[in-house]
Amino acid sequence: MSIAEALRVALSQIWAHKLKSLFSLIGVVIGITFLIAVITVVEGMNRYVQEDFAGSLFGVNSFSIVQRPTVQTGNYSAEELRRLARNRDVDLDDVEAVRRAVPDARYIAWRNASRMDEVWYGERRRRNIRVIGGSEQYQAIQGWEIDRGRGLTPLDQQRALKVAVIGPAIAEKLFPNGAALGKRIRLQAHRFEVVGVFERKGGLFGNAWDAAVLVPYETFNQTLSTKRDRVREISVKANNQREMLAAMDAVEEALRIRRGLRPGEENDFHFQTSSGLLSAWETINNILLAAVPGLVSVSLVVGGIVIMNIMLVSVTQRTREIGVRKAMGARQRDIMLQFLAESSIVSLVGAALGIGLGLGLGKLVERLSPLPASIPPWALAMAIGLGLLVGLSSGIYPARRASRLNPIDALRYE
Amino acid sequence: MEGSSQPIIITRGLRKEYDMGAETVYALRGVDIEIQRNEFIAVMGPSGSGKSTLMNLIGCLDTPTAGEYVLNGTPVQDLDDDDLARIRNEEIGFVFQTFNLLARATALHNVELPLIYAGVKAAERRDRAAAALDRVGLGDRMDHRPNELSGGQKQRVAIARSLVNQPSILLADEPTGNLDSATSADIMRLFVELHRHGQTIIMVTHEHDIASFAGRIVTLVDGMVASYDAKLGPTPASVMTASAATTP
Ligand SMILES: Nc1ncnc2c1ncn2[C@@H]1O[C@H](COP(=O)(O)OP(=O)(O)O)[C@@H](O)[C@H]1O
Ligand SMILES: [Mg+2]
Repeated sequence: MSIAEALRVALSQIWAHKLKSLFSLIGVVIGITFLIAVITVVEGMNRYVQEDFAGSLFGVNSFSIVQRPTVQTGNYSAEELRRLARNRDVDLDDVEAVRRAVPDARYIAWRNASRMDEVWYGERRRRNIRVIGGSEQYQAIQGWEIDRGRGLTPLDQQRALKVAVIGPAIAEKLFPNGAALGKRIRLQAHRFEVVGVFERKGGLFGNAWDAAVLVPYETFNQTLSTKRDRVREISVKANNQREMLAAMDAVEEALRIRRGLRPGEENDFHFQTSSGLLSAWETINNILLAAVPGLVSVSLVVGGIVIMNIMLVSVTQRTREIGVRKAMGARQRDIMLQFLAESSIVSLVGAALGIGLGLGLGKLVERLSPLPASIPPWALAMAIGLGLLVGLSSGIYPARRASRLNPIDALRYE
Repeated sequence: MEGSSQPIIITRGLRKEYDMGAETVYALRGVDIEIQRNEFIAVMGPSGSGKSTLMNLIGCLDTPTAGEYVLNGTPVQDLDDDDLARIRNEEIGFVFQTFNLLARATALHNVELPLIYAGVKAAERRDRAAAALDRVGLGDRMDHRPNELSGGQKQRVAIARSLVNQPSILLADEPTGNLDSATSADIMRLFVELHRHGQTIIMVTHEHDIASFAGRIVTLVDGMVASYDAKLGPTPASVMTASAATTP
């Protein structure tokens, strides 16, 4: 019997027992749905982190100098965190050292920032905002676009004017009818004139930026800062990866000299890069991807056992049919092929349904979150391969049982 | 016997025992028979005398406990599973009392079954199965399933199936056992017709008027051959002429 013939017989058998077949593929559907959904989401997060998140935090080819990591990525030991906490604060003298070390950098910017704060306009208030005192190029390095009004100018910086560009979430809350420009808002005891509103960034991580207020660094320094000349972060953007690495070396040397560190002594500042963040993400990612096979294989094994048991029942119920086929000249391998084809088709259909459902779940996540649904081709190939594997391995025992029946015993079976 | 032509079936000391734990059932206790090509043989005997057991051994559906069986010059007891399957496929056509059709398959597909395992291509398979159904007078019932057919029609489908691969021997174990007498006579006419065209037939029955269609009667009692060469006479005139010349 040819494989095509075996498939045809198997298909008609599956079709004749639609309900039973449907039931038998549930386990595989669950396993593959899970596999595809998790991979879709992880891949989506991966893409998001690489393309949007890291880019929006640091920009490409950028690094920053901080006292300790501002983005908690969870891959520091408690020991390291204690050491980082002992680092010296960054200040304007460090900024000067960095500027002299990398005069050719595309952008150099520095900022200070408040803890979570609130902003007032008359009786209206928006809580959970963040005030950032940014230098001239800060807006450019962050890639923030202006929706209405204007951004901060060199003059604002030089004269330390009390002007502010506010995020769209704040504008909405404080100025429901839209007229934000020229209004005077209150931050703690200080009044600022709104000169611009940022474009909405949106997204999982952009939401925080949508509730930020940007004021000139020097203004922040004189009004809201808890410590004079303090700098939370110095950001340097190079033209390419090679220049960025060279710039990091130059900055490291300059800061060590300025801070009087002896050779062998550890840096008392911290470099933050998007690639550093990405490697942290990769760790999380790998943990997630490592957990998937375990969970998926459990459901696939269960799915396989379900198929095997239903096939065994089916072999028993079809003993006479097997007898008839053998009496008509079916060899062991013909019967084997027929049952293996059946279990494989059932399992592959289960895998196909699982792929469909998994992709559907991924799309749902895409709709409900900023994560893009992204499914790599290898995941589809893997799902189909696993479906086939489950089908063959769960079918092999029932198929052998069927194929080894003695023809006359099978024919006589009641 | 015609000394020159080799018998199509020779058995020597054929035994079949069933070990039932406490006791052993001796279904066949040394059966020696020879059957020539083109014979139409009826196997008779009381219930439990070993008729079906003998047929199953001849049809390679089962293997003997002891003894030799030579089919078409091939010692069957030496063959492996695949060879036996090939013999069932190519040499043997089986007709059962209970028809043993695939319930969900059409008449045509049922008849195609042996051709599927013979590796015949789909188009040729269809043609040959349709021709076989035509031959048994069911050309207009090809797409019917067994539950849409009468007992006699089912048995005709089974006969078409047994013949479609042009076997050397047609084995029929009480083929009319589940049929009324008019339908039984129809089936017997079909057998006589097949026999006239050269088909070797071995048929089990316990009814004398069915056996009377055969050219020779082998009677089993208690798993042994009691009479080897009996003839019942006279068979109905209408079929007599067709079957007369066959006994060597
Ligand atoms: N599979 C079996 N297991 C045990 N005993 C069997 C089996 N098949 C047949 N027999 C016994 O062998 C004897 C011959 O059976 P069978 O050939 O079917 O007789 P017949 O067809 O002549 O009625 C009977 O006693 C029957 O009970
Ligand atoms: Mg019997």
